[in-house]
Amino acid sequence: MLLNRRNSGDRWRIRPDGPGKVTGRLAYLTDLTAPGMLYGLVLRSPHPHARILSVHTEAARRLPGVAAVLTHRDVPGLNRFGIARQDQPVFCEDRVRYVGDAVAAVAAKTPELARRALALIEVAYEPLPTVDDPELALRPDAPRLHPEGNVLHTKTFRTGDTGPIFARCAHVVEETYVTPRQMHAYMETEGGLFVPGPEGGLTVYAPTQHGRMDRLQLARILALPEERIRVVSSPIGGSFGGKDELNVQPYGALLALATGRPVRIHNSRRESVRAGLKRHPMIIRMKTGTDEKGRILAHRVRIVADTGPYASLGAEVLNFATEHAVSAYRFGCVDAESVSVFTNNGMSGEFRGFGGNQAVFALEGQMDRLADAVGMDPWEFRRLNLKSADDPGPFGQPIAKTDGLAKVWAAVERSRLWRERKAAELSESSETGGAPVPGNCGTQAAVERPPWMKVGIGAAMVMHGAGLGFGLPDPSGGRLALRKDGKIEAAFGFEEFGQGLLATLEQMLIERFGFAAEDVRIVIGDTDAVPDSGSSTASRATSMMWRSLGLLERPFTEKLLRAAAEACGRPARQLGLGAGGIWDRESGERVLTYEALAGRLTEPIVCEAGTSYPVSDTDIVGAHYLYAYAAVAVKVEVDGLTGRVRVLDQFHAVAAGPVMNPQGYLGQIEGGSSMALGYALLEEAVMERGQYVTNNFDTYLIPTIADHAGPVEVMPIEDLPEGDEHGPRGVGEIGSVGLAPAIASAVRHATGVRINRLPIDPALLQEVLPVGETAVMRGER
Amino acid sequence: MNDNGAKSGTSPEAARAGERPWESTVNGRPVRLPVPPAKRLLDIVRDDLGLTGTKRSCEIGRCGACMVLVDGAPVNSCLMMAYQCAGRDIVTIEGIADESGLHPVQRAFLEEGGYQCGYCTPGMIVSVKALLDAVPDPSPEELEEALSGNLCRCTGYGGIIRSVRRAIEIIRRGND
Repeated sequence: MLLNRRNSGDRWRIRPDGPGKVTGRLAYLTDLTAPGMLYGLVLRSPHPHARILSVHTEAARRLPGVAAVLTHRDVPGLNRFGIARQDQPVFCEDRVRYVGDAVAAVAAKTPELARRALALIEVAYEPLPTVDDPELALRPDAPRLHPEGNVLHTKTFRTGDTGPIFARCAHVVEETYVTPRQMHAYMETEGGLFVPGPEGGLTVYAPTQHGRMDRLQLARILALPEERIRVVSSPIGGSFGGKDELNVQPYGALLALATGRPVRIHNSRRESVRAGLKRHPMIIRMKTGTDEKGRILAHRVRIVADTGPYASLGAEVLNFATEHAVSAYRFGCVDAESVSVFTNNGMSGEFRGFGGNQAVFALEGQMDRLADAVGMDPWEFRRLNLKSADDPGPFGQPIAKTDGLAKVWAAVERSRLWRERKAAELSESSETGGAPVPGNCGTQAAVERPPWMKVGIGAAMVMHGAGLGFGLPDPSGGRLALRKDGKIEAAFGFEEFGQGLLATLEQMLIERFGFAAEDVRIVIGDTDAVPDSGSSTASRATSMMWRSLGLLERPFTEKLLRAAAEACGRPARQLGLGAGGIWDRESGERVLTYEALAGRLTEPIVCEAGTSYPVSDTDIVGAHYLYAYAAVAVKVEVDGLTGRVRVLDQFHAVAAGPVMNPQGYLGQIEGGSSMALGYALLEEAVMERGQYVTNNFDTYLIPTIADHAGPVEVMPIEDLPEGDEHGPRGVGEIGSVGLAPAIASAVRHATGVRINRLPIDPALLQEVLPVGETAVMRGER
Repeated sequence: MNDNGAKSGTSPEAARAGERPWESTVNGRPVRLPVPPAKRLLDIVRDDLGLTGTKRSCEIGRCGACMVLVDGAPVNSCLMMAYQCAGRDIVTIEGIADESGLHPVQRAFLEEGGYQCGYCTPGMIVSVKALLDAVPDPSPEELEEALSGNLCRCTGYGGIIRSVRRAIEIIRRGND
């Protein structure tokens, strides 16, 4: 059944954060102000690579209204940050490695004064050669960006020697795929308010996807005990992975502590582009071979990722990309080798899909090319090679068994779009005597379209791991309490950045415990008020809330009912939780409101649960245990005059266990697919010699409403094998993966042009010259 | 919208406006502020009036997060200066709702889930209100044109389109 409002019935709910959002009343952290606050600004390097010869701040300091000018000398603790590896300077000492590198920061009474102060800081640079190509950066004669060289990380996964196997393959396909530097383009740029407390403490109001990690990182930088720092991290105007790493926090925190006054920072879009993370550009070479019948015998993968100047999560993203480049299918022999390389380009890092987007674009490209080589229907080719429910994970590791892959495959096979493609091919092969002609999908449509408009349908499979993977601590947990005011308080250390976490949690509380929405108060995103739930990343939060509430259900219910029994004099077994209070199950009447119950308590009822994300029994770092599965079919229209591709119709089948929150689930798949549409057709943060050429939304194009055309159907496949203990798998990322390779496949179907680079270059799809009645596509060979 | 601004910008009255306090109507209330004539409307609304529902995002008029109504027309407030909107009727997201609490467009966005992170939502709702005030039953093309200056990174626009359709329905029923 398709997921939509009508089919969801009462489960389609108004989000608790909705009223504040549609009225503009919700204050984001970048909307906050404080009396007497100062405005902070960061001076960043104009050079992608240079030595710092000197920094003079005297003139800036002397400017009236300037409260502080800070450089690396003013960092009391570690002058470095990074979630996984602390190698990014808060302030550069003697060298800058990208155009976002910070050299100094100022706090002043007004934004104008802060800008003037920045301009008064004199930094002398000696430019160094720019390393802007990751493959050149690997050469022995390339300038070394770090003492250990230019390799951040390598990942190898090999089950044998593919060489001799390729020699006996009937079909071998070799291709190089190139993927762009995609920008998160959250509408709210980085920023926040930093308020010094009494006795040297600090409260940070700034978006992040893991408040505790920010607190830990800031404690290192500020040389303060973590308890003295409070991080309020929610609500957030979009993140998509991009605000998980520290951004403006070190500067706001240092300036607030240096001046003893609240400091506000809010990045301009230009600064956000310049300093912020992007999706790793990757060059992915794949060589894949099959036997005569189309069974894959060998798969060779080489990935080069441009991670930019510092680590952030570049190593983890590479592990994920490697895992997903060998996912979903049985490959026979696998030989994968990946490397993440330092360059003087922009910072790369965490981004929804986490390396899977690049890998799956390449992998699905291989599947289409192999199917053509074998002479098979591309979807049938996938079925032939698909992993079964009993197969291990991509790295050969044990995984939670589900038949998600087979089910999403079948859903596309039966979908309206795929049937349309098959019908079109049937009618064409009868018209042309067998050979399928691309571009005339749907006889009816072909009649109505001018000859330069081609239509095609393509599809792609996705297998997407969730959780941080083996080798990384992945704890979680939550707390339920009945507070004095009668509210059931649910506290989790997660953040709301639009994904609908608050709504999902509220719905879980209502559906699992029987509470009414008004009974519940949710507390998230405040390190002083929440337990350790781990990060709001890696499609893990829904799973972890479900698991934690499962652990809390019995003890919390029992405590409430026992207290209620004592208060009302009825046996606890006769009582149950419900809307507005405790209900007598026999008489069907409410015997006590939560408020009344709370009033009778001498101390509040509190239950806390600790858990952690399930991991595979393996020794391969990054290997996942839980996966979600998706298959996407898409219909596109290619204009042979302009080369532009228009998406007309989408179908997404997603197997991720039960749907906890229909509106949230639909929003994640629709919204994720829009990002994939941008990835496939529009988006690239272009860099030339280490400088951003695209600085704002005038040149960096994300999809607009005009790019959204036609239906987007989402079909959740909810069933899990009997005995599955893991409940809902997250869907925060998976929707952002499959549409791009499906579009590439549909473009090939429409035009015959194979796509190996994103975003798709319209020049490839422009018809060169009409020859007779058939247009010749430039890419057609 | 730029045309309007340019017109008032060339009038001699407006050129001298900077010498006097800036006066306009904001959300139905007269406002008098001592601001420089080149101050952006976005900053007046957010910083001087504390109406933070109007959002700052691209600051070059591309994203629509700062959309407000000036004499009923949608305007990117990051592109309009004080002198250009002096003496005009300005409505921000905070002034959209009627006495009952929510404008039908707001109700429709709530019911359909036409938002996620919510940061583009005030600007989006302002644009939708302006559209439906002018064209009660827009064609898909009119809708596309009216909202193509409002970027949303979260929803993929499906929920927004459903919200607009729902808003049309609510308004039509309310008028019957």
